Amino acid sequence: MSESSPKESFEFEGKTIDEAIAKACNELNLSREKLNIEILTEGAAGFLGLVGGKKARISASILSFNMDFDETPGEAPLAATKQKAAESGGTEAGDTALEARELTKGILQRMGFDFPVTAREDGESVTIDIEGDGSGILIGKGGQTLDALQYLVNKALNKNGTDRKRIILDTENYRSKRESSLEALALKLGEKAKRTGKPVTVNPMNAHDRRIVHLALQEDKELTTRSRGEGAFRKIIILPGKKG
Amino acid sequence: MDGDTMKDLIKYIAQALVDHPDQVDVSEVVGEQTSVIELRVTKEDLGKVIGKQGKTAKAMRTILSAASSKLNKRSVLEIIE
Repeated sequence: MSESSPKESFEFEGKTIDEAIAKACNELNLSREKLNIEILTEGAAGFLGLVGGKKARISASILSFNMDFDETPGEAPLAATKQKAAESGGTEAGDTALEARELTKGILQRMGFDFPVTAREDGESVTIDIEGDGSGILIGKGGQTLDALQYLVNKALNKNGTDRKRIILDTENYRSKRESSLEALALKLGEKAKRTGKPVTVNPMNAHDRRIVHLALQEDKELTTRSRGEGAFRKIIILPGKKG
Repeated sequence: MDGDTMKDLIKYIAQALVDHPDQVDVSEVVGEQTSVIELRVTKEDLGKVIGKQGKTAKAMRTILSAASSKLNKRSVLEIIE
């Protein structure tokens, strides 16, 4: 793009999140898909039927990638996105993030955790971030509480079978911490397999965690990783020996 | 009062999962240390609250125990057919 406009973000208000998003689309003249929406506050009137004066506020930034390959940047793509916005009705894409956030908040409140929850939508997935109190009670042993919550939120929002976005729940940066500790574990066990020349079995893990371990050892030409077992008992075996 | 919170929690989650939220019924049997939360849904929705290999039920139980441990008590979830 000729004019490189770095991540500018704009704030919008509305009675509901949807209204605010629609406003953002309108003002910026872009379709919902071209915007990165962050929910700042939700309207108070909505979910629990409380009547309050609080307005919904969102922050919208324009997604950086652009698809205008033609000679006239500016004119043509704008018209195209305008048309697209008209076709899709504009607001519908923000629903998943909003619903996921509401549901997460609702469950947390009933669990006795009144933590702030924010939603971020990025392309394929929606990330719900829960601001914990640092106690880790929400994470649980091996992340089981957070995973259970994430599973239920995904189930509830995907019950209609239409293919919707994957929802990721995170708190206190648990997901990225978990990822680095799994990588470290993978490398350590990989070394052990090489040293002893015997296969090393890793404790059963879910698909997401297994993937991290597989990827961590993918580059190592002296090791092969395989998964064995079924369902919740599926685990990785690290085998010494050449790939292939 | 505490019991109501757990009942509420399960009802809220179950209603989000099923196709017929109006037919979700939750009751509680209060014990000395442990309370039993009984969840009833329509037959068609039974699969939705149990899930593949009981995964959904297990997730609800995990949430329930996290919530009740905060109140220093124990709760058990029973899904009644």
